[in-house]
Amino acid sequence: MSRESIPIASLVQQDRVHRRVFEDPAVFDLEMERIFGRAFLYVGHESEVPAPGDFVTRYLGRNPVILCRHQDGTINVLHNRCGHRGALVCNEARGHVRRFRCPYHGWSFETNGALHAIPARAGYGAGFDLGAPEFGMMRVPRLAQYRGFVFASLAAEGEAFALPAMMRRCIDTVIERAPDGAIELAGGVHRYEFRGNWKAQVENILDHYHPAFSHESTAGGDGRQFRRSAGEDEGTPIYDDAGGVSGWDRAEIVAFPAGHGLQGPMPGADKPKGGALYERYRAALLARHAPERVAEILGNEWFHNAVFYPNMFIQLRALFVRVVRPIAVDHTEVCVYPIRLKGAPDEMFHSQIRFLNLTHAAGSLIQTDDMEMFRRVQAGLASEGAEWVVLGRGLDAERPEQDGRRAPGTSELSMRAQYAAWKRYMAE
Amino acid sequence: MMPEIRAPDIRPIEEFLLHEAHLLDDRRFEEWMELFTPDGYYWAPASLDQPDPLNSVSLIYDDRAAMETRIRRLRHPRIHSQTPPSRTARLVANAVIEAAEPDGSACVVRSKFIIYEYRPSIPEALERVFGGTYRHRLVAAPQGFRIAWKKAILANCDARLGAFAIYF
Repeated sequence: MSRESIPIASLVQQDRVHRRVFEDPAVFDLEMERIFGRAFLYVGHESEVPAPGDFVTRYLGRNPVILCRHQDGTINVLHNRCGHRGALVCNEARGHVRRFRCPYHGWSFETNGALHAIPARAGYGAGFDLGAPEFGMMRVPRLAQYRGFVFASLAAEGEAFALPAMMRRCIDTVIERAPDGAIELAGGVHRYEFRGNWKAQVENILDHYHPAFSHESTAGGDGRQFRRSAGEDEGTPIYDDAGGVSGWDRAEIVAFPAGHGLQGPMPGADKPKGGALYERYRAALLARHAPERVAEILGNEWFHNAVFYPNMFIQLRALFVRVVRPIAVDHTEVCVYPIRLKGAPDEMFHSQIRFLNLTHAAGSLIQTDDMEMFRRVQAGLASEGAEWVVLGRGLDAERPEQDGRRAPGTSELSMRAQYAAWKRYMAE
Repeated sequence: MMPEIRAPDIRPIEEFLLHEAHLLDDRRFEEWMELFTPDGYYWAPASLDQPDPLNSVSLIYDDRAAMETRIRRLRHPRIHSQTPPSRTARLVANAVIEAAEPDGSACVVRSKFIIYEYRPSIPEALERVFGGTYRHRLVAAPQGFRIAWKKAILANCDARLGAFAIYF
């Protein structure tokens, strides 16, 4: 179906979205242009490129890009494309260079994208101004950073980068937990893919209606999940349905018009923690902060998951950054990067890594069943038996919160906010 | 008198590796787990040069407790990603002894594996092939060999992978 015939406004209603939003390749093409081609997308964290010349390769929508640190120490996001004949310049996930060099004809580029040299330059006539930016590796036009998190927009013009105060506070909360006041993404990456639409993953981040059912196989006879870390005395209760009200509802959701949202605190987040390792961590914080401040930091598990729409997510308890990359209307890649709290005991990070292996690896005990559901949604929506996907749970319980809305934890508030933002991006 | 130099006999080791492969293909997970020593572990790294399983993530890094949890889930009637379950057929070959304790108490065996996986599904079945290198540290025990650790290094361990619920 051609783009002109997509009735965007009618595909999203307050409590439902049309199946075409998930399965129409023309809608996907338009998303790449109007959402991923415009929005500030998360690219990476500055700790992934600590030294000048360090780079990692990423995608922004359909655009292969390079996140690198220039010789002057600044962060750059470059199109991974030679300014000559268009070849991909870097074919590795990460690396270190003095300069980039295209393997095709040997053109070389500075780590800020500027053309450095071309072989046999005299062969280009006077009409070629090789100093023009287009002969370099083009820079992604707009960059923004918040405390080491790098965002970029492929559009030269548009709304300025802005995160609601509560969303910024999510990042602040993660960083303040590090005794050295800094974090790094230095624990490798879980990289998984599924045969489903990218929005299935985004919806799922703040979906606390699903765990009791999707993840039923992770619970024992007592209805509790496996222990998630060595210090935990019992697993999280997976199902709590006293009087028809789920315990997950107490972990309320706040969502914003731009599609961002968060949830928490989780039931039990205020439970006192202990153990030798925890005490060493607390001591590391006490070496930097007054006892009152340390109590505040450790007691501040006020959110659980946070959605930075459209492509980045942070979880506080398990400490990771997750990034979604749409590949096709029915094909999605997701990367999960553990966050290391600098200055915290190494064993704490080890425990965190072991937990992420069990929960978020492609072969983990949790994520596998989520991926199965994302795949099943895609397969099910091939059916033309019904038009709509229903997102009305908790609509009546919504109430205003700062510049957003608040609703119970198992509500579908976050999806409604995501599709409201989706509709605004897509409609014009 | 010249000391006697006798290489360990590879044949019983190969038989053990094939027995292990059959247990996994036959979904006899509990018996498979019993092949490990109580402090044994299974490790499938997430990159070819991953130095250790502690400081970066792995595809799988299971001690006995994690194996028990994973296998209990594989037996759960509502494990959706295995409804219906995968069928696997694996070949293990090219076994060589890389190192052996002089007293014959333990050795490290290197081998190659190819696993064909098929899972019936709608709209189409999942079919894929995994291949790579195994390293087993085997220790002699009264009941035969036991696995002190098993490292399964997939050739594509750093690729993006679809959901999997099998041990390699």
